[in-house]
Amino acid sequence: MRRPRLVVGSILMTLALLAPGTEAAKKLRVVATIPDLKSLTEAVGGDLVEVDALTRGTQNFHEAEVRPSMMLKLRRADALIENGVELDAWADVAVLGANNPNIVRGAAGRIEISRGISLLEVPSTRVDRSMGDVHPLGNPHFSLDPGLAPIITQNIVDGLARLSPDDRAVLESNRRAFLERLDREMARWNKIMEPVRGAKVIAYHPDVIYFLTRFGLVQVGTLEDRPGIPPSPQHLVQIIRLIKAEGVKVILVEPWNDLKLAERVAAEAGAKAFVFASAVGAVKGADNYISAIEFNVTALAQALK
Amino acid sequence: MRARALVVLVCFVGLLAPPAVAQEAEALKKEIEQLRKQLESVTERLRRLEAQPAPVTPRLAPPPVPSPTGPPAMAPPPPPGASLTELARPRQPFSLYQQRGAGQLLFDIGIAGDFVGNITQSNVEKAQGGTFAGQENRFFPREVELSLFGQVDPYAYAEVRIETGEEARGQELGVKLAEASVTLLTLPLGTQAKFGQMRNRFGYSNMIHEHDLPWIDRPNVLRNFLGGEGLKEKGVEVTIVPDLPFYLEGLAGVFDGDNETAFGRGTLRVPLFTGRLRTFLELGDENAVQLGMSVASGETTEKQRDTLLGWEGRYKYRPDGWLHPLVTVTGEAIYSLRRVLVEADTDGDGIIDRITKREKDRFGWYAGAEVQPFRRWAAGVRYDWSEFPATPGKERSVEPYITFWPSEFLRFRLAYKNTDRTHRETPDLNDGSAKRVDEILFQGTFILGAHPAHPF
Repeated sequence: MRRPRLVVGSILMTLALLAPGTEAAKKLRVVATIPDLKSLTEAVGGDLVEVDALTRGTQNFHEAEVRPSMMLKLRRADALIENGVELDAWADVAVLGANNPNIVRGAAGRIEISRGISLLEVPSTRVDRSMGDVHPLGNPHFSLDPGLAPIITQNIVDGLARLSPDDRAVLESNRRAFLERLDREMARWNKIMEPVRGAKVIAYHPDVIYFLTRFGLVQVGTLEDRPGIPPSPQHLVQIIRLIKAEGVKVILVEPWNDLKLAERVAAEAGAKAFVFASAVGAVKGADNYISAIEFNVTALAQALK
Repeated sequence: MRARALVVLVCFVGLLAPPAVAQEAEALKKEIEQLRKQLESVTERLRRLEAQPAPVTPRLAPPPVPSPTGPPAMAPPPPPGASLTELARPRQPFSLYQQRGAGQLLFDIGIAGDFVGNITQSNVEKAQGGTFAGQENRFFPREVELSLFGQVDPYAYAEVRIETGEEARGQELGVKLAEASVTLLTLPLGTQAKFGQMRNRFGYSNMIHEHDLPWIDRPNVLRNFLGGEGLKEKGVEVTIVPDLPFYLEGLAGVFDGDNETAFGRGTLRVPLFTGRLRTFLELGDENAVQLGMSVASGETTEKQRDTLLGWEGRYKYRPDGWLHPLVTVTGEAIYSLRRVLVEADTDGDGIIDRITKREKDRFGWYAGAEVQPFRRWAAGVRYDWSEFPATPGKERSVEPYITFWPSEFLRFRLAYKNTDRTHRETPDLNDGSAKRVDEILFQGTFILGAHPAHPF
């Protein structure tokens, strides 16, 4: 008689130990797939949220490897904020391993921030892999375009308010304060970029088009042969010719791409290659959303002079 | 008597009904109150938005969109730390495949093609003792796989893999179901359940399909103890990831036990039980280790118990900012405790006089290291040592290899494999022996369309 009781007691104790803690209910535990979204969620969520990111700014988000540590972060999350448009499709695999129903696709805690974004580079013709790692829905690297922050933050507020409707007013107020600050910075950034408006640049990977378009710069080519495909020698020769012909002064390189190769091309063509903040945390000093854009604006304006 | 019973029943129902109705009314009241609050909040927000100009005036950004999915009118999401019943409640779909639009497929499709070849000695070909037994000195499609995967509904994810491949020299290709499983995603207490036909999560490499393996061939120990295709079973697996400060995944499964190499009873009356514990340690940003232990226990066709214990470890060193690991070290070991029937002809008359039960404990392991200094190139070596589960003897092999990826969708591999055996698991065929085998293995693999991300 004593034995079954002991077994039942042990099972109940184990279940109690495994059950989610009540203390964590104070703050929403949010996980963002990329650090840009972590920074924006922190700005909007303030004290209401505890935010973590699955990747670091120095990583290529297309090729993030799903690690069990991601699953650990997701296991406790109330919300998962994802970029969408296939940039962070790997998050599905991490979610599958996290055993957390709050954030499975279709749940209220799954927040995709690409809703309402007018995507650039949406293919208008048939696409296939001969074009490289092409995104049929459009270019997914829009998160560091400050002009799109109102839409992104609105999506974050709406998503978080679904989980915590009583906090909507605070979230809205945080968002407004953040956008007002961004607005002031935007006016200053526009002023800094005004003299170099219309300048032509080369990007290593096509992940800076939104930012360039926002500030009136023109991307005339990419160092990659096609998205995700390393450049062939013939392509590099063409790029060097293009840089010379178009008077390109700058090659923008992501921290995870081959800076040495870009520097060789730049030296050959009489341009300058530098690592830009392709994401929050990608370079020193780009620790949050505003400082990452600040870094890019300052560095580009300096290099294009 | 019947009338009295009826009266008692009516009284009983009458006594029970009011609290139940009251509870229901209370729940409805709460729900209406919550909806009212949400409506007020949305109205307030609309009023504020209408009264104020947009806070930022980006030149390219279209105006902010309305709430992407709207407040959940029918089933509000459970708060963190919700009760068991709340967690078990079905959720409403909010944003299933919102980007895809009408006329689009609601799941992903991918095709993986895996072609392998080998060149070896003629005696090995005669004895069919090569890595691809019966396919020595040939180039053939080992696995061409069609994968269909995606969400079934808000509560479940499904995966179907149909494959074909040349299994024997000159044989017609047959199409078969490699995997078909459904994973229930919204179970409480950090659990998930998967049912269907699947590659079992036993150790690190068993669950990986041929085209995704980090080597051309499956390690010897897995082929010896689990068969050429590995452990692939029909049944149910339940996993739990408890809310702990470190990652720990527990797994328990019940399967038919069809695998003829290790089990073979193929009945749920005597099922195959599986279990696994997996943890993960990150040593800073650059180093990571995954460790696991597995068990599989079922009965063989001789109705004797066979229990396999497995250990796995995988280490990766990825320098900061690299797209790929610089060093990867992988190892697995299997210990088999198998009861077998031994027939004895004690008086030499050709008739079996006695059948005794004996336990055969067998062991095997492999360890491999890979270095990837460049994005498109990697080189590595794997060492295998394994006994045979039911027959005497052992084998060891060394396999250095090189991998080249022109893109992430195309891969080529070249390997040399040297194998030494004391005995063969099966007798020599056609007067050919295969105790010492030298092979050159090559592989070309492509992926068309979608493919699930690579796990650690």
